[in-house]
Amino acid sequence: MNPFTYVRATETSGAIRALGRDSHFLAGGTNLIDLMKMGIVTPEKLVDITHLPLKHISRTPTGLSIGALCTNSEVADHPLVLKHYPLLSMAFNAGASPQLRNMATVGGNMMQRTRCPYFFDTALPCNKRVPGSGCGALQGYNRMHAIFGASDQCIAVNPSDMSIALTALEATVHIQGARGGRILPFADFHRLPGDTPEKDNVLEPGELITSLTLPLPAFPDHVHYLKIRDRTSYAFALVSVAAALQLDGGNVRAVRLVMGGVAHKPWRLEAAEDFLRGKPATVENFRQAAYLAMQGAKAYAYNQFKLTLAPNAIVQALKTASGVTA
Amino acid sequence: MADYSDNQSHEEDLEHSTRRSFFKQSTAFGAIALTPAALVRAAEHQWDEKIADVFEKMPLNIEVNGVKHSLKVEPRTTLLDLLREQLDLTGTKKGCDRGQCGACTVHVNGVRINSCLSLAVSNEGKKITTIEGLAVGDNLHPMQDAFIRHDGFQCGYCTSGQIMSAVALVKEGRTHSREQISEFMSGNICRCGAYSNIVKAIEDVKNSGL
Amino acid sequence: MNKIVLGEPLNRVDGRLKVTGGAKYSGEYKQPGLTYGVLVPATITSGTVTAMDTRAAERAPGVVAVITVFNAPAVPGFQKDAVKPVRGLKLFNDNKVYFNGQPIALVIAETFERATYAAKLVTATYAETPFETSFEKNFDKGVVPNNGQYKDYVRGLADAYKNAPVIVEEDYKLPSEMHNPMELHVTIAAWVGDDEVHVYTKSQGVMGSQRSVANAFGLATEKVHIHSRFVGGAFGSSLRTWPHEIAAVQAAKLVKRPVKLTLTREQMFTSVGYRPLTIQKIGLGATLDGKLVGITHESHSQTAVYEEFTENAVAVSRFLYASANANTRYRVVPLNVGVPCPMRGPGEATGAFALESALDELSYKLGMDPIALRLANYAETDPERNLPWSSKYVKECYALGASRIGWDQRLAHPGSLRDGEWLVGYGMGCGAFGAHRSATTVRIRLSADGRVVLWSATSDIGPGTGTAMTVIAANILGLPADKISFELGDSGFPTAPTQGGSQTVSSVGSAVHDVCVALRGRLYELSGLPVDSTTDIDYVRVLKEHGLPELELSGESKPDAEAQKYSSYSFSAHFAKVAVHPLTGQVRVRQLIAVVDAGKVISHKTASSQMIGGAVGGIGMVLTEEAVIDDRFGKYINGNLADYHVPVNADIPDIEAIFIDKPDPYINPIGTKGVGEISLIGVAAAVANAVYNACGKRIRELPITPDKLI
Repeated sequence: MNPFTYVRATETSGAIRALGRDSHFLAGGTNLIDLMKMGIVTPEKLVDITHLPLKHISRTPTGLSIGALCTNSEVADHPLVLKHYPLLSMAFNAGASPQLRNMATVGGNMMQRTRCPYFFDTALPCNKRVPGSGCGALQGYNRMHAIFGASDQCIAVNPSDMSIALTALEATVHIQGARGGRILPFADFHRLPGDTPEKDNVLEPGELITSLTLPLPAFPDHVHYLKIRDRTSYAFALVSVAAALQLDGGNVRAVRLVMGGVAHKPWRLEAAEDFLRGKPATVENFRQAAYLAMQGAKAYAYNQFKLTLAPNAIVQALKTASGVTA
Repeated sequence: MADYSDNQSHEEDLEHSTRRSFFKQSTAFGAIALTPAALVRAAEHQWDEKIADVFEKMPLNIEVNGVKHSLKVEPRTTLLDLLREQLDLTGTKKGCDRGQCGACTVHVNGVRINSCLSLAVSNEGKKITTIEGLAVGDNLHPMQDAFIRHDGFQCGYCTSGQIMSAVALVKEGRTHSREQISEFMSGNICRCGAYSNIVKAIEDVKNSGL
Repeated sequence: MNKIVLGEPLNRVDGRLKVTGGAKYSGEYKQPGLTYGVLVPATITSGTVTAMDTRAAERAPGVVAVITVFNAPAVPGFQKDAVKPVRGLKLFNDNKVYFNGQPIALVIAETFERATYAAKLVTATYAETPFETSFEKNFDKGVVPNNGQYKDYVRGLADAYKNAPVIVEEDYKLPSEMHNPMELHVTIAAWVGDDEVHVYTKSQGVMGSQRSVANAFGLATEKVHIHSRFVGGAFGSSLRTWPHEIAAVQAAKLVKRPVKLTLTREQMFTSVGYRPLTIQKIGLGATLDGKLVGITHESHSQTAVYEEFTENAVAVSRFLYASANANTRYRVVPLNVGVPCPMRGPGEATGAFALESALDELSYKLGMDPIALRLANYAETDPERNLPWSSKYVKECYALGASRIGWDQRLAHPGSLRDGEWLVGYGMGCGAFGAHRSATTVRIRLSADGRVVLWSATSDIGPGTGTAMTVIAANILGLPADKISFELGDSGFPTAPTQGGSQTVSSVGSAVHDVCVALRGRLYELSGLPVDSTTDIDYVRVLKEHGLPELELSGESKPDAEAQKYSSYSFSAHFAKVAVHPLTGQVRVRQLIAVVDAGKVISHKTASSQMIGGAVGGIGMVLTEEAVIDDRFGKYINGNLADYHVPVNADIPDIEAIFIDKPDPYINPIGTKGVGEISLIGVAAAVANAVYNACGKRIRELPITPDKLI
């Protein structure tokens, strides 16, 4: 790692003030320290924010508030989350390893960089790491890469499982900056690469994620997080699907479908949701929804399989979530 | 070629003496790393001074296996390297240094984490337990004993991490089924392939109610 | 007396050290004045380094030295006139770059952090030359190896399969696979004056390491001390002395302080060998009743442009089954990559995947049970060498495995067995690996307190060498295991072979056997009893009565001529039950049974673990592992443990190892044939064949990841 100064912040405004040029907030460190070891991020200063009072998990009149510094496992194991938002627990437990989940925070998970191998190797071209250097993946080994929303500048995917579930749960992000706070829908937090793939999200310099709120109801009875990967655990998604259904008899009253491993941000499957809403929960309808979800998908040399795996995964997630097998 | 046994061999380097004297000075004044960086902004374009500043060590109070340590460490030193290279607690292993294998698993305030991705300075005031701190005197922790009886290892290199993870796993209550044990032990890679014996060792400890 | 019988499950003798963190691996020896070495990799794939800028690195705090291709002190063994020149890549000896990641500099600093950072400050300029890393593109450039050991083999007619009534002719591809032992390769070198050095290094063979270092630096062999008591896995990656080990010794000599050089996980993908990418063609021809008419096995595998690597990929097809006609061809394709080296099971595992997959394909074409097909072609004698087997219990392996996995549940038609949404299938695959034995010397000492210590310069990379040796010694001496200790992993101990090729127990165990028999004989002699007496004697009293403070013997044990009259192999049959999800392509291995005829089992507990571990390696080979090079850059792009998928706990079901456990009567006095390699050979085919049986998809290109099954 490059040498850097380390300061420990004890209150939020102080942390924001302490953040200077080429500085980073340090929370769980599971991504940042790795990036620093690889020479991808070389900060002059780290501001340790783990002592900030942003570790609550508490009821609000409309749902649940989660402090940004809660660890992944604290959230995944929390009784209120397990009861009302089991989809989120499932997504957390599908990510990384128990040890990493004990370190990684919710805010840090949102800030997690892509796992694209070209991003991770400073000897290779990557527009996300060095704007203008080219996209190594576009003509390269792009097996893990996007099929939705990519640009010629970047075809990387967001690796977070948590974010897929939070998008499905229509969470809200609370952000604090030097000049005040702002709130935005979780779905608007991450962005597509476009011509500025170096920006993963809409966070401005000096801003700090302070908490998330999760609304109710989140129809917890019919949910599933399906993650398909190259080994059974401790691997990033080839594709993943968060499915949450509200069933009324045999009909779909409400549905949320979000896919991971396919885009630069959590990919909400609105066309599929629209199709399913009000229709009988049948495998045939799930298939049709998956077909609609895949419109506009574009694959590259090594990820053609995602055009088949993704709709299959949507169907399977819906089957498991609904309990409908025919 | 210069005599490499002497660290200060590059006398032709004009900036050299500056750096050296700065080092001495800053050492004399004690640690300044916690000081806001503004203090040294004036010297920002002076490579050596900047380096010297950030290389300054920070105080760290940490308890490892019940022993309190007051240390000075570089901010970039990981908990893993602190344990292995400075405290000579080499039972905690480095297998990837990137959070991808679990060999470095230790408990921080009772919670299992990967020490390779934790800066030592982030652990100010915390209690660390490593594999060396598990046994009480000559009495092995039941998990250590179970690993021996079930031959839950071969080369032994991932073993410290496996056992630290397994002890935490039981405490977390994630031993309801073989599948659950397997899933929640998947952050510890064993290349010798002792997984099924590791699971048996954990089941044994769980069943014995220890 | 707690008499131990061979095969009794003894807990690992070093278990306590391993579960308490007390076992010291090579990088963990405290050295006064220790410095840290970090290698700087080339960022081109072929060409020369034209200039390097090390000024920033040298200026960085704590840097002691920067060794580069331009200033590296001469290594005597690198010179053209060297009596025993160093094999392979001579690091820093010239400015040529043969592969991406080849080290071009070594930074030595006071701390690991400082060395790591300073290494990033070293920059180089290059003159690049065209390179080739694409195996497929260069397939036709495959050549017969130069070493003369891989000539085309023909028994009967070549390519006779083509004229048979039933034919299988398919290509099978294995990607490069990395050993990835959990311990990073590490070397601490500490000189004593100018002519003596201690090297703590990850080694499967301390004698070999000693010779390599002595040759490289022109030292007397006895002035090189290799210490490698605990090895954190190796699987073949520490069979030889690698360039970075020489570099650590070179650096320590230069800075006159101990140097610890640890490879990063990423560097281990380029610097310590791997199982080479291989494409094999199998041609099988059979009569309608399943008798093999011909076997043809061709293999192309990658090697480095600067060093040739070869292995026994095609040999298995020459002897595993009876066929009057058999022929093999073996080619290597030199590329701008690091040199491969044997990886567990080595070529035999590669070859067995192809042959055993093809046999499975043949069984479906014939409508014959895969076991019946193998029985129909059972080789009663070795068809390649025309010798009787020293022992072979493969039919028993088939029967035990089939019974244990529930082979009668298998439905011949693929895709017909379901468990809920999952498709379930059964498969089997076989393997064989030569049973070897090398000359070994063991020293033994009985002390007045009744304790026995044995020494031999063998290794333990994980199988439990010390445990097996303790069992043998306890058995012969009639002593409890805790009275015996076995010391290994130091070049100062009596000569032993490198731990490789599954020969440790056969070689060292035989020597332990012989020296213990000799010690026991001497004690009985002293007692005035015949050496074959069954009367128990008190060793301590015998020493006391003769005024002996201790009794020490040393003896060499080596193969005898009688064994040469037989063909000796360990054999295995692996049985797998898998589930395949038809929609998501996920594969779950539900059960794996490994049945092995490895002769007498010495230490049942550790041998079982070895079999289970090999099976896990085989599951990795077949389902998850693949090292990928981007041929545009000539560089591995998944060189880490997150993207290169070693199996994790959740990938692995209960695996059961079953031993035939019958001593081989000829090979050595203890009847062992070896377990290490055979544990992996045939596993990949068993699983791939089960996948086919489950879902009807024949995957001939490993690994079988979900994308290939949807």
